Amino acid sequence: MDEYSDSEWNWEFYEELVEDVDENKNIIQCISCGKCVGDCPAAKVSEFNIRKIIRKVLRGDKSVLKDSDIWYCYLCERCKRVCPRENINIPMLIINLRNESFKKGYGPKYNDLRKYVEMAERFLTTGVVLEEPLGEKLPQQRIDELNEICNFARIKYVFKASKNKRKKKK
Amino acid sequence: METYNLALNIEEIERNFQENPLEFFKDKKLCLFKACLEKYFPGVRWGIHDLLESLQLEVSTCKNQSCCTGTFFQRNLITRAQFAAINERNINEINQQADILLFSCNGCYNSLLRGREFLKIPQVKKKTQEILDQLKKNVKRETYPRMYDILENPKVRFIHDLDFLYLIRNDVINSLKFDLSDFKVAVHYGCHYLNLSRDKRSVNHYLKDKSKLEELITLFGGTPVDYQERESCCGWGASQLLINPREALKITANKLLSAQNVGADFIITPCPTCLYTLSKPEYREKMNKWFNEKLDIPTIHLNELVALLRGCEEERCITLRRKTPRIEEIFEIITQQ
Repeated sequence: MDEYSDSEWNWEFYEELVEDVDENKNIIQCISCGKCVGDCPAAKVSEFNIRKIIRKVLRGDKSVLKDSDIWYCYLCERCKRVCPRENINIPMLIINLRNESFKKGYGPKYNDLRKYVEMAERFLTTGVVLEEPLGEKLPQQRIDELNEICNFARIKYVFKASKNKRKKKK
Repeated sequence: METYNLALNIEEIERNFQENPLEFFKDKKLCLFKACLEKYFPGVRWGIHDLLESLQLEVSTCKNQSCCTGTFFQRNLITRAQFAAINERNINEINQQADILLFSCNGCYNSLLRGREFLKIPQVKKKTQEILDQLKKNVKRETYPRMYDILENPKVRFIHDLDFLYLIRNDVINSLKFDLSDFKVAVHYGCHYLNLSRDKRSVNHYLKDKSKLEELITLFGGTPVDYQERESCCGWGASQLLINPREALKITANKLLSAQNVGADFIITPCPTCLYTLSKPEYREKMNKWFNEKLDIPTIHLNELVALLRGCEEERCITLRRKTPRIEEIFEIITQQ
């Protein structure tokens, strides 16, 4: 684990995350017991270590946004369940960190999101991710509403990127 | 007072309808939330639909329901407010036609509970209503009053199929033609059922194992078997299987192997997403190739198993349009009784 000196201590990053998602303020209650890491499925197969991530955040170390580790979380909520403290929501912290990472351009590249392109496309054109087994289709007006809700969301950019790519191919 | 948590109060039903909890549902309109993964396992929907009809309950699906979008929220493709707005739009529509909403998928169940939970945060709630107000502008004529308002106290309540089937277990058992004698069954709850918030102020509640699946298996005449990876993730992990397949499938392989090693005949799960991960032949082949593990253990959804034990016509309830060797083996042994 990386070592820090006291002079490197700062709350700026923590405050930014709390401003975005108020619930993140609770990570300060973390007692580093390690139960989340011991029970984490991602920790068994990758370098993902939530204790290390929380430590970096509390130290104001923004390199955590560049780490590939944050993209290995399974969002299974096991950590939330086994944490002895009451209100620490680690999956929400991870989602928040991924958001910050995206904003800074460190997130997964278009290629890593390629599997989502199809899903995004189907959702924005049919309202479902997979075809409804009984063929009951969502009315067009409802699909338009979903597109309206998703305005300016990344899902729209993923969708647009897929259309542009297709045009180029043609 | 605003109600954010729309989960049905199961304890209250157990208290008030001790003799027969099914009575609670008799005068209610039930709706099945359509899960995306039911595309691959239509028997998951048919299984519960057929049972409810046979119990003479009023059941429907909602034509205007969209995907729960949990997968997009978890991958940062939509914001909390957008996720909550999609959720509220669905709840608005379903609230018009149903009192009880049933979920066959842990992911959808968790998403709808989580979407409502986000509304407790004032700025998310405000933003969500702003988004919904945009939709209202485009609606020429409201099909019902207060269309697309955030409902402070909707009548609709949510229940997971596992909790529902457990609640009415006596009626389910009475409807069975076959049983699970001679079967050893490994249970897989799935993270978004197993890890749903627990009351940490109560030691008993915090530490208590969830055991409804094991109890149902016992009631069906089978023997639930404990295995080391009982509580582990199926490997799907909010699409980790798509993005980091080797690591994710290692988790899947460990789970299947662990159940196989204790002699389980099959794995039962109450979630079609977990079922997809645990059963997809392509994944089994990859696990064989990458980890040199031959994993043959069959898997089945709880709703499919109930349909099968009820003697429900195989073609309709289990495979519908899609023939699969997945549960053929279980089907043949059970129906030979």
